Amino acid sequence: MFAMVAARLGAPVTAMDDLLNDFLAETSEILAEAGGALVAWEADPADRERLDAIFRFVHTIKGSSGFLSLPRVTALAHAAEDALDQVRRGQRQADAALVTAVLGIVDRLSDLCAALGTQGSEPAGDDSAVIAALASTGSAPVAPAESAAEPARSDAEADDLSVDLQAWRSIRVPLPLLDSVMTGVTDIVLARNEFSRMLRESGADASLVASFDRLSDSIAAMRQSVSHMRMQRIDKLFAPLPRIVRDLAQDLGKKVEFSATGGEVELDREMMENIRDPLIHIVRNALDHGIEPLDQRVAAGKSVTATLSVSARQSGNQIEIEVRDDGRGLSPDALAAKAIASRILTAAEARALSPKDKLELIFRPGFSTAAKVTSVSGRGVGMDIVKANLERIGGIVELRNEEGRGLAIVLRVPMTLTIISGLMVRAAAQYFAIPRGAVREILLENSDSVRIDRVGGGELVTVRGEQFPLLRLETILDCDVDESDDADERAIVIVRPGQGLSYAISVAAIHDHEELVIKPAAPPIMATGLYAGTTLPDNGRPVLLLDVQGVMAAAAIDASESGRAAAGAGEAEDAAASVRDAAQLLLFRDIDQRLRGVRLSVIERVEEVPVLALFESAGQVRAQIGEQIFPVHADRLPDTQGTVKLLRLHDGRAVLCYPIDAVIDIVRLPDAVQPAATPGLIAGVVLVGGEPVEVIDPFWLMERYAPVAASLVETRQPLCTLAGDQDGWGDNFLAPLLRQAGYRVAGSDEAGGERPDVMLCLADDPAQCGVAGDDVPMIRLRASLEAAASDEESVYRYDRQALLEALRRRVGGGRAA
Amino acid sequence: MMDKLYLVARIADTRVALRSRAINSVVVVGTPVAVPAAPPHVAGLFALRSRVLTLIDPHVVVGLAPVPVAAGQRVIVVDVAGHGYALLADAIEDVCFIDAPETRVAGKLLPGWARIAEAMIEHQGASLLVVDPARLIAEPVASAY
Repeated sequence: MFAMVAARLGAPVTAMDDLLNDFLAETSEILAEAGGALVAWEADPADRERLDAIFRFVHTIKGSSGFLSLPRVTALAHAAEDALDQVRRGQRQADAALVTAVLGIVDRLSDLCAALGTQGSEPAGDDSAVIAALASTGSAPVAPAESAAEPARSDAEADDLSVDLQAWRSIRVPLPLLDSVMTGVTDIVLARNEFSRMLRESGADASLVASFDRLSDSIAAMRQSVSHMRMQRIDKLFAPLPRIVRDLAQDLGKKVEFSATGGEVELDREMMENIRDPLIHIVRNALDHGIEPLDQRVAAGKSVTATLSVSARQSGNQIEIEVRDDGRGLSPDALAAKAIASRILTAAEARALSPKDKLELIFRPGFSTAAKVTSVSGRGVGMDIVKANLERIGGIVELRNEEGRGLAIVLRVPMTLTIISGLMVRAAAQYFAIPRGAVREILLENSDSVRIDRVGGGELVTVRGEQFPLLRLETILDCDVDESDDADERAIVIVRPGQGLSYAISVAAIHDHEELVIKPAAPPIMATGLYAGTTLPDNGRPVLLLDVQGVMAAAAIDASESGRAAAGAGEAEDAAASVRDAAQLLLFRDIDQRLRGVRLSVIERVEEVPVLALFESAGQVRAQIGEQIFPVHADRLPDTQGTVKLLRLHDGRAVLCYPIDAVIDIVRLPDAVQPAATPGLIAGVVLVGGEPVEVIDPFWLMERYAPVAASLVETRQPLCTLAGDQDGWGDNFLAPLLRQAGYRVAGSDEAGGERPDVMLCLADDPAQCGVAGDDVPMIRLRASLEAAASDEESVYRYDRQALLEALRRRVGGGRAA
Repeated sequence: MMDKLYLVARIADTRVALRSRAINSVVVVGTPVAVPAAPPHVAGLFALRSRVLTLIDPHVVVGLAPVPVAAGQRVIVVDVAGHGYALLADAIEDVCFIDAPETRVAGKLLPGWARIAEAMIEHQGASLLVVDPARLIAEPVASAY
């Protein structure tokens, strides 16, 4: 019989092959789920539903394997089914030994399926030991009283099975078929774009265009559903984890309660394959290194049973998977000491690291947190590999550490493997894409904050005191610079190819960023090491995706950040740089064509959005950017088409968009500011290159859009110090207002010995501001509109009137005393 | 029957026969995009509907100087190891059944041709080299020129 099956399977393509493939696919899914269900059932043997589910799993395998004549699989499934059925009928007690024996069967079935997949036939072998393990375990009949407790339910067996069939309302589709549907839809999209271009050029009449737009919309909707077809519930990824945790916890003698949530989140199946190993590695690490042995947990006052949870959630186009344990967490200092011992860095370098940088040491190659390599997680796979694997698919790894209380590792991955966000750049009259995730900063080459030096044949760029090796894309690619390039457009893209690495790429121009469907390039192209793949934008001209790691290797530059003349090299230089930063002005042409400027430090970024992203609601123009909605400084919606540029002003908490026509330059803010007569949008006028430039008052703007109205109150000219100004809000937003109101302003430590008249505390915690000393009155500013009960004395920081009122009162009081 | 079907074409200034089962299609080349730093026989990339094909110049593979891609030139699309390639053809002659058996390559070939020719076949009074597309894709030997 056995030989007959093999012979049948040996035929080139038969219906039998398809059946076997279906069986294997289904069985491996069932086995993965069964492992998890068994562990859950072991934790709660009274859970009848779980038991029924497991019973159905083995019952299904037995049924299909019988049909395919796979005697070993049938025998194994049959034995497990028998044992479980005894439990269902109350003739046998569920215990750890039984679960272990059933898990043994599950393992053996997995092995057999793997062999079936590669050889096409069931290998010969003896399963009697595994089957005997089922019988030999304490099969003492349960007490009659207990079995009598639920006699009615075991009669419902037949019903259970039919209900289950209803639950499988899905069909199996071979992956190549899905891929061909995907390709087909992409073809349609390209043809649509071509058609739409021709339609525009031909000047077709409106009804034709409208009807084409409808077609276009349905194509877009179809593209969306097709990409969902590749999605799978993340449950599949979590299914083997309970089993891994159980086995490992038993080996290590630890007690762990495992939970998985968010299993309904969907993820591209290829992406799922790519994060399976990293996820398992992290879970194993958490058990092995994170969770303390029982005695240490008791000593630390923790519950003996540790908790380990895995959760998934979707945020925008990304999936976030968090593995959290309540173990000992990471100790930054211990990590640094370890790194020094393994000669990953020197003691001097270690001292310069912030606690966060020290944590990131675990991602350095050759770093292993365990004092010695253990059999559990010491398999030559380190966190560096985990990180590299994730970055390869456009994901990132984050650490949320609470030393002594636990560690959470967050994996953030794009929803599909094939679509990444890419920055399109031009060089040598050709477009290239750079993965957006690797880009740290983009600057114009002729910007004030960029300095380029030629040193010994190489080039390096200094950006705000930080140095980066500079590579010209044309040089890397061995091309000539295109003569029609505009020198003003040349830009510098600072990229991060990996942890602790960065360098700058100079390109002829920045185009835009796009969502790109990436496909691997042909081997001769991949062999150059410079490219990570190809993509086909909607214009139908292929674009190469640059491999920022490969470029670094090909150029043979040392991109390591350690030891570089960075901003942190000298405190004084650092401080000087930050002062310079604070006093930079972004010049732009406003919508009304006026030349205006705003302090660079309050700009979060410049955004270009379609006009359609702006909308009006509740009398306020707003912009939708990504998933968020921000207020826009505009009285009405723009009546133009296309896109609009927005400055994103950020005060550390809120964002306001300011529409502009074009960015002109970044210049140093001149010292001589002619203040405006009344508070308003314009704080004053400065001369830049002989031209008058109106300087925007960010305080006035933010206040206008903060939910409070206020008016100006006149005051006198005392000295005001700012304390606890950690995010620069005081300096950037508050100080200009205070100066305009006639105060002199200084940081808490730069008053120069002069006794301040009043101190403003900007920190949430008054203790951080220290004592004002010598009965200097203190005013606390709070960030929230509502005051907490204990906080009545504080002033809302955008309440201009209340703030000035409080200042006047305190200063007046101080003077009188 | 399929085994006997060949595409007779002129590539790298030489008439050759390609087994039809190795060939996906014959199309007109799209506007190619250069691949900087790629091996010299990679003449660029172009899109065939939603597929990105790698354009191969057989001239370079056999050790001749590269030829520029002309608009409207025809290319032979082949699939090798899951990737799509397009071989630049000087001319596409015919798809035909050749009943004669493939024979061992007799005579001494130039090194470039020796590497890509698999066999010879007699067709309409001429001997054609039977070329394996997969061997055209691999990195060429150092150019004779």
